[in-house]
Amino acid sequence: MTVTLGDPVVEELRRILGHDHVLTGKADRLNRTRVPAPFPVHRWAERMPDLIVMPGSTGEVAEVLRLAHAHRIPVVPRDGGTGLTDGAVPLRGGIVVDVKRLNQIKEIDLDNRTCTVGTGINALKLNEVLSRHGLLYPDDPASYPCSLVGGRIGTSGWSLIGSRYGHTRDLVLSFDHVLPTGRVIHVGDGIGRKITKSSSGYQLKHLFMGHQGTLGIATEATLKLFPKPEAEFSPFWAFDDYDSAYRTVGQLARAGVATFAGAVLFDEWKVAYLRRDDEAYIPQPASVKALVCAALYGYEDEVRAGGSRLMRIARSMGARYLGDEISQGDWAARHDRYATPLHGRTRSGQVVPMSWHCEDASINYTNLPAVRLAWHEIADRLRRASDVFDDWGMFAYTNGATGADYLTEIDIGIWEQRLDDAAWAAWVSAKRDLAAVALAHGGSISACHGSCREGEVDLVPEELGGGFDVMLAIKRALDPHNIMNPGKYLLDRAYPDQDGSP
Amino acid sequence: MPDPEKRFAEEWRDAAYNCFSSGHKFCREVCPVMQVTGNESWSPTAFHANVVAMEQGSLEVADVAADYVNCTGCGACELRCPNSLFTGDFYRFRTRTVDLVKGVRSLAVRQEVHQPAWRRWNELTAERTHEPVADGVSQERVRDWAQGLDLTVGGETILFVDCEAAFYRPSVPRSVACVLGLAGYGFGLMNEQWCCGGPAAEMGYEEQARRFAEHNLADWRASGVRRVLVLDPHDYITFTEDYPKYFGEAFDIEVVLVVELLAALIREGRLAPHVPVERTVTYHDPCRLNKRKGIWQEPREILRAIPGLTFHDVDRVSQWSYCSGAGGGLAVEKPELTAKISEMRMGKAAELGVDTLVTACPWAERPLTAAGEARSIGVVDLHELLAESLGVAP
Repeated sequence: MTVTLGDPVVEELRRILGHDHVLTGKADRLNRTRVPAPFPVHRWAERMPDLIVMPGSTGEVAEVLRLAHAHRIPVVPRDGGTGLTDGAVPLRGGIVVDVKRLNQIKEIDLDNRTCTVGTGINALKLNEVLSRHGLLYPDDPASYPCSLVGGRIGTSGWSLIGSRYGHTRDLVLSFDHVLPTGRVIHVGDGIGRKITKSSSGYQLKHLFMGHQGTLGIATEATLKLFPKPEAEFSPFWAFDDYDSAYRTVGQLARAGVATFAGAVLFDEWKVAYLRRDDEAYIPQPASVKALVCAALYGYEDEVRAGGSRLMRIARSMGARYLGDEISQGDWAARHDRYATPLHGRTRSGQVVPMSWHCEDASINYTNLPAVRLAWHEIADRLRRASDVFDDWGMFAYTNGATGADYLTEIDIGIWEQRLDDAAWAAWVSAKRDLAAVALAHGGSISACHGSCREGEVDLVPEELGGGFDVMLAIKRALDPHNIMNPGKYLLDRAYPDQDGSP
Repeated sequence: MPDPEKRFAEEWRDAAYNCFSSGHKFCREVCPVMQVTGNESWSPTAFHANVVAMEQGSLEVADVAADYVNCTGCGACELRCPNSLFTGDFYRFRTRTVDLVKGVRSLAVRQEVHQPAWRRWNELTAERTHEPVADGVSQERVRDWAQGLDLTVGGETILFVDCEAAFYRPSVPRSVACVLGLAGYGFGLMNEQWCCGGPAAEMGYEEQARRFAEHNLADWRASGVRRVLVLDPHDYITFTEDYPKYFGEAFDIEVVLVVELLAALIREGRLAPHVPVERTVTYHDPCRLNKRKGIWQEPREILRAIPGLTFHDVDRVSQWSYCSGAGGGLAVEKPELTAKISEMRMGKAAELGVDTLVTACPWAERPLTAAGEARSIGVVDLHELLAESLGVAP
C-alpha cells in the first residue's frame, strides 16, 4: 500500500474519520511502531505501518475494518503500546488503529457495581473518577499509569493484586468487539453486559481476550468494580538464602487469607542487582540474599487479622521484617520502578545505558527453583556472548489465591544503542530457550505478556498441541483474508493457499 | 542528514535513548496535550524517539517541526518520568523534555522551517518590542497600566511586568503595586522595558530572544538595577534560566518572584489581609511555578491568610496533570488546543463546586476565563485577591 494523497483508500478513510484522524506523516508512523518489548532499533523502518487512524466510535472502527477487509489491507490495533510482547508492532505495514480517542466513561452503575468505558481509557485515570464514589477497578499491572483497557483485553493481562481481585479476564465483564470483517458483536458471559456468570452458549469472552489483535478490536467494555479498600498492608521480609524465601512465599500463598492480594519473591540475582544499581535501594546487610513481600487489601479489621497471620507465618520461617517504612514505600513505588531503564553493566563492570526487558512464564510453585536456575544459565550465556546484555535477576509473583502457580519473570538489561543483527539473533535464540524451559517444566510460555514474539512463538504449537489447530481454524473462519495483525502467532499457517501472506 | 540535525542528534543522543528504550510513557496521562488529543505523535516519548530516528537518518527536522508545536512546556512529563524519579541520580541525569522541545523548535527556525502564526507573532514582537497580545501594543504604552499610581522610574529594585499583564490584564500589576506600596516595599518601574524574550525563545526564535535579553540587561545596568521583581511565572523562568544561560556568571541580577515576596511580607506581619472575601475557591498551580520551580507553598499561604475564603485545595502532585494550555506558544499557533486544555482544567474545578478559580499566572487567566464562562466559574488573580483583602484593590 502506498500512501499518497490521491490514494482512494486514504481518501475513504478521511471521509470516515475526518481529516485530522488519519495520520500519514513519517513521525506519526515511526511512533506507532514499537512497544517496550525488546526491539531491533537498527531495523526500526521494517516495522512501520503505512498510516494511522484514530477512530472516535465503535462505528468508525467497524467502517475501517470493513474497508480493510474489502481491500485486504493489514490492520494492527494499538492501545497503550505498553505491551511486553509485540502485539501492537506492525509486521506487514498497513493501518494502525489507535484507540486512544475511545477514552470516555459511558456509565458508572453504582447499584450493579459496574462501569462502562471506551477501551482507550487508562485504569489510573478511571480510578481517579471512581474513587469519588468509593470504588476501585483493581486491574493493576506494572504499567498501571499508562496501559489502556483495550490493551489489557487484547493481551488478557495480569494484575499484581490478582490473587484478591482476579485478573483482566475476571474483571472485564463484557465488551463490544469489532470482528475482522467489520461486524460488531458483544461478547461476555452469555450476551449480558453486566452478567458475571452465564452458561449460555460457547464462552466467547475468553476467545476474544489475549488474541493480540489477531481477531479484531475491542472498543467498549463493561468492568467489575469493588469497594475502594479501606486498608492496605504490604510487608517486606528479608532472608539469608533463596530457599528460605521460597519456602516462605509458598506458606504465605497457601495460607488461605481472604484479603491476600499477592506475594512476590525476589531471588539472589535480583537482590544483587538492586544493591548494585537501583538508586532507590535502601542498604541492607550483605547477609540479605532474597526478599519476599505480600500485599493485603480490605477493611481495616480483616486486613489487620490477616496481616497478623501472615506475619506469624513469616516469623516462624525465619523471615526478618524490614519495617513499616520500607514496606509501605516499596509497595507504593511499585509502578514507578517498573522501568529502571537507565543503566546496567558490562562484564567488566562498566556502567552503560540499558533498557529493562521482562521475560515471563507461568510456572507451578514446585518448579520455580529449577526454572530459576535454568533461566539464569540462559541469561549468563547471553551475557558471555555480548556485552549488550545484563542479568537483572528474577521475580516470582503469585497468580492466584491458592499459590498453585506464579508469574515467573527474569529481567534482562539490553543496551539498545549497540543492538545489531548478531546480538538480535542471540536474543531471539535465548527467548526461544526461555520458553522451552517453561514448557519442559509443565508451565506456560507467558503468564501476562502473550507469546507471539520472535523466538518464543516457535514453541506455541508445541504448548497448545491440538489447540493450536483450533486456533488456526478459528482465525481462518473469522478473518478470511488474514487482515488482522498478520504475521503474529504463526497464524499465517491458517492460509496455506495464500503463501502465508495476506 | 544535514549537519545541524546531526549535531543536535549527537547532543541529545543518550537522553533520547533513555526515553526511547524505556517506552513506559508514564508521562502520557499527565501531558496536557496528550490528554486532550490522544495523539501519540505529540507525546514526550515521541519527542525523544524522533531524535533517535534523526540519528538513524530516518527523519529531518522539517518532517517533525509541526509536531513540536504541541507542547505547553509545562514540565509535567519530566516530573512523572521514571528515569528522573528512580534512576536518574546515578548518572546525574534528568529527563529534560522542555529543553528538548525548545531545541527542536530552534533547530527548525535556524533551517527556515517556520510555523505561520509563530513567525508572525515574533515579527510583530520585534516591531513593537512587546508581544502583540492586544490592540495598541507599543513601547510608548508599556507603562500605561501604572497611570495614576505615582510610581517612579528606576532605582535598585524594579518591577518587571510581562506583556500580557501590562497590555491585557493591567489590574494584576496595579494590584501588585498597591500591595507593595501598602507594605512600604520600595520599587520603581523599568526605564525602557522590552518583552523578556522568553516567548521568542520558546517558539525557536533564539536570536531574537537573546537580542531582547541583551537590551533588558543593558537597560538594567545603565540604570543601576540590582533586583528585578516579577509577577509572571513565565518571566521568572526566563530570568532565572534563560538569562543566566545567555550571560553566564556576569548575570548578577537578583530575581524575586512577587508571590514569594508577598508570602514573606504576610509572614513578617507587614501585610495583614483583613477584608473578608466571600468566595468558594480552588487554586490553579501555574505550571511554571509548581512543576518547573517547585513553588506551591507560598500561593497557598497567601490564600489561607485571606479571611472569608472557602478554599478547596487540590494538592500539587494531582495538579501535575493540570494546565491552562497557554504556555509554550501553543495559544498562538493552536488556540483550539489551548481552549480544550483550559476546558479540561475548568472541569476539574467544577467538580469541587467552587465559584472561583484563583491563579497566579496572567497568561493562564485569559483561556481559563473563557473556559469558566460556560460553567459560571470566575477566574481571579491571586495578587488581585490579596489586594482586595488588604483593602487596596486598585
